[in-house]
Amino acid sequence: MHVVLKIKRLFLFVSLLFNSLGLAYSQADSAVLIAIKAIPGLQFDQVRFQVKPGTRVTLVLTNEDDMSHNLLITEPGAREAVVQAAMNLGENGPKKDYVPDSPNVLWYIPVLLPEQTQSITFTAPQTTGVYPYVCTYPGHGVIMYGAMYVSTEPMPDLKMDRHVPPSRKVADSQANSGVSHAEHTTQAFQTYHPYQPAAPYLYRIFMPDASPATIAVHLPQKVSYCWDAGTCYLRYAWQGEFLANTDQWQGKGDTFGKPGGPIFFRDKTAYPLQMGKTDSKPDVAFIGYKLSERYPEFHYQVDGIDVYELIKPTQEGNGLIRTFRIPDVKSTVWFITHPGDGVVYRSSGGKWVDNRLKLSPKQARTFTIYMEKKGEPGL
Amino acid sequence: MKGKLHLLFITFIALFTGATLPTSDPEPSYRVESIEMPEGLVSETGAIEFLPDGRLVAGFHRGEILIYDPKTKQWTLFAEGLHDPLGILVVSNTELLIMQRPELTRVKDTDGDGQADVYEKVTDDFGISGNYHEYNYGPVKDTAGNLFVGFNTASPNGSVWKQVRGRLDTLTIGFKGQMFSPVPYRGWIMKLTPDGTLLPYASGFRSPNGLGFDLQGNLFATDNQGDWVGTSPLYHVQEGKFYGHPSSLVWQKGWNKGNPLKLPVAELDQMRTKASVLFPHGIMANSPTQPVWDKTQGKFGPFAGQLFVGEMNQGRIVRVMLEEVGGQWQGACIPFLDDQGLRKGNNRLAFAPDGSLWVGQNDHGWAGDRGIQRIVFTGKTPMDVYTMKLTNTGFELTFTQPVDEKSATDLNTYKFRRYRYAYHAKYGSDQSDVQAVAVTHVSLSADRRKVSLDLESLKPGYVYELQLGDIQAATGEPIANKIICYTLNRLAI
Repeated sequence: MHVVLKIKRLFLFVSLLFNSLGLAYSQADSAVLIAIKAIPGLQFDQVRFQVKPGTRVTLVLTNEDDMSHNLLITEPGAREAVVQAAMNLGENGPKKDYVPDSPNVLWYIPVLLPEQTQSITFTAPQTTGVYPYVCTYPGHGVIMYGAMYVSTEPMPDLKMDRHVPPSRKVADSQANSGVSHAEHTTQAFQTYHPYQPAAPYLYRIFMPDASPATIAVHLPQKVSYCWDAGTCYLRYAWQGEFLANTDQWQGKGDTFGKPGGPIFFRDKTAYPLQMGKTDSKPDVAFIGYKLSERYPEFHYQVDGIDVYELIKPTQEGNGLIRTFRIPDVKSTVWFITHPGDGVVYRSSGGKWVDNRLKLSPKQARTFTIYMEKKGEPGL
Repeated sequence: MKGKLHLLFITFIALFTGATLPTSDPEPSYRVESIEMPEGLVSETGAIEFLPDGRLVAGFHRGEILIYDPKTKQWTLFAEGLHDPLGILVVSNTELLIMQRPELTRVKDTDGDGQADVYEKVTDDFGISGNYHEYNYGPVKDTAGNLFVGFNTASPNGSVWKQVRGRLDTLTIGFKGQMFSPVPYRGWIMKLTPDGTLLPYASGFRSPNGLGFDLQGNLFATDNQGDWVGTSPLYHVQEGKFYGHPSSLVWQKGWNKGNPLKLPVAELDQMRTKASVLFPHGIMANSPTQPVWDKTQGKFGPFAGQLFVGEMNQGRIVRVMLEEVGGQWQGACIPFLDDQGLRKGNNRLAFAPDGSLWVGQNDHGWAGDRGIQRIVFTGKTPMDVYTMKLTNTGFELTFTQPVDEKSATDLNTYKFRRYRYAYHAKYGSDQSDVQAVAVTHVSLSADRRKVSLDLESLKPGYVYELQLGDIQAATGEPIANKIICYTLNRLAI
């Protein structure tokens, strides 16, 4: 166990070098260490690496996916044939780790369960060429592969490299992106659908800083907001593009939608609506929404009382106009704000008491809150 | 012993290779057609169903609900913005129930413009932790109007958010490689009563990506091989039962045994209800999906009343032949259609009014494909096993066509072996106790449609895998599918 850990650290160091240089460095013991991970999305984290002919190579495969994977290195050009031969093993596949008896298979690491690690050491061929590596677990080989370049020449541009999966002909770091790589604000906004949605439109999607049951809405005037159907209130709003990341639907969905511009409002109250009392967090229930001219009007209950909320942009695109309807309320309604939430408020009715708007039951049947951004940073 | 097993492998390699040679059948019984998808659609198909008016409604990963008219071959948008819709129950031409990640939603077009304008929560009375693996399945409806939905467990490779919906349980979090249940009712199949109450119904599921009622009103669900699931199963789902994946037990009423993942395996094994049918991994299916019963009364060929299940990892639809033995469902599975233009990723199935079987494909970061295809019966009866039934002494095979007497009565035509799968925390299971089982007697019925096989040993708790040799129809047509796996839970009485 101790040894394994020690080796792991070494790999980490070496693989960092690869990632920056795309080239393997020899260790003092003369074996080059290549650390490859199987990661979610039927892919290897590294889709290519380079060694010189005749180099001693220690290749370590770590399975970080939630499925089983193996890794076979094949003769140049033999990847597809080996994948097919593995399929043809049929019911004998599992026992043979999906490794066919074929001269095209040079070396392999058998099937690893999730979280297992195993290594092999071999001498790279004297013959230069591109030696594919591939997972031959049934169904995986079509897209889960990479290339070992045995050469002294530089590898081709990744975008042009026909030896790596098409989805990986981009910056190598994209594969493992998740949330942290969604920062590319310069990315082109692409069409996600067979139609171009016209604002207003919405996605029920995972959003940061909210519950996992949010609704992201894009409005005209380039204003967007995140309304939380789990907690039943408007969480935050931003200006600019709608969702900035292109990977929000990639892979298994372990990602967020990310606001495509600066957040100008963030609710900082315990809950913004109170019926009668002001001292406790009410019970809330989400009921649904209706589309009116494509704007959603949310319907939810606060302490059992029906509330309807329709949110539109200000004409200048610097804020939101929230129209509430609470037709059956019998008590005073408080609309609660926080001085640090980033906006200046006006209302169609009621009386402001410090940061709270007090509405009589009659006033609360329909009222409008105008929120315009103060322009303070850091929300 | 080692030598014997080795010989067995060689036999099977030979047979399997034989089975994959292209047949020269000029007239196929089924034809696969691809549906042209709208340009710009990422057609990871989460749901397909047919509307009363004969149009197809389909849900896709990016939240679109589209309608396809088979007559005009035109796609139109019905609804948008849903979160990973993985199931649709059709209420009418203008109203759908859609299972999405945060809730079961009633989606309606109330102004008649062809697009939905009302989205009403039907239930959100269950937890979501933000873990990517918390997929939701269903709904399917029983004759009393109850709806049933299934909740996937969370993956140890995913996270649990700081803000979750529902009560957070931490007992099963952080167990290496184990799917867990951070919020209620992950790993359960739930019942939603007509008055809107969501009740826990059955526990012990891992990834039940497929719920369905048979024609008699029995609820079945598939699950996916992984931890605690040695090979993918089909379960007959009954109220109050536990089906084997322990994590869900934290939400069992009155649960007081601590972390269920730490219970002795023998105790869990005692508690669990076993699968009606096992799909041997690498042989039959690696990731079975939606079960649908053939209600076409012959429009889809000779298998009316039988069950079809999609498979993600291969271009295959599996057919299941169920029978009730000693009051419990068990039976056999057999490939129904392999390749023939069918893609992988066969996630959702629906019979069209014309009797064709539509298949929606998905990959979603796993092995699979995208798009929609349909399988059409050409009218030519296939040469296939129609049913496989357990007898007191072995099995009775009924064929779709009279068989050629010479090959059908040859003992060597039938190669059985039996094996088991372990119930354990480890991801998947190898076959164990693998043994060849000799056929001691074969007899053919007078109409040459039924073959009775006597086996030297019948033992419950095993999968009996039958590899057919070169059996032919009386017309000389070779049999279409040669491997059948019968899950023997109970002996015939």
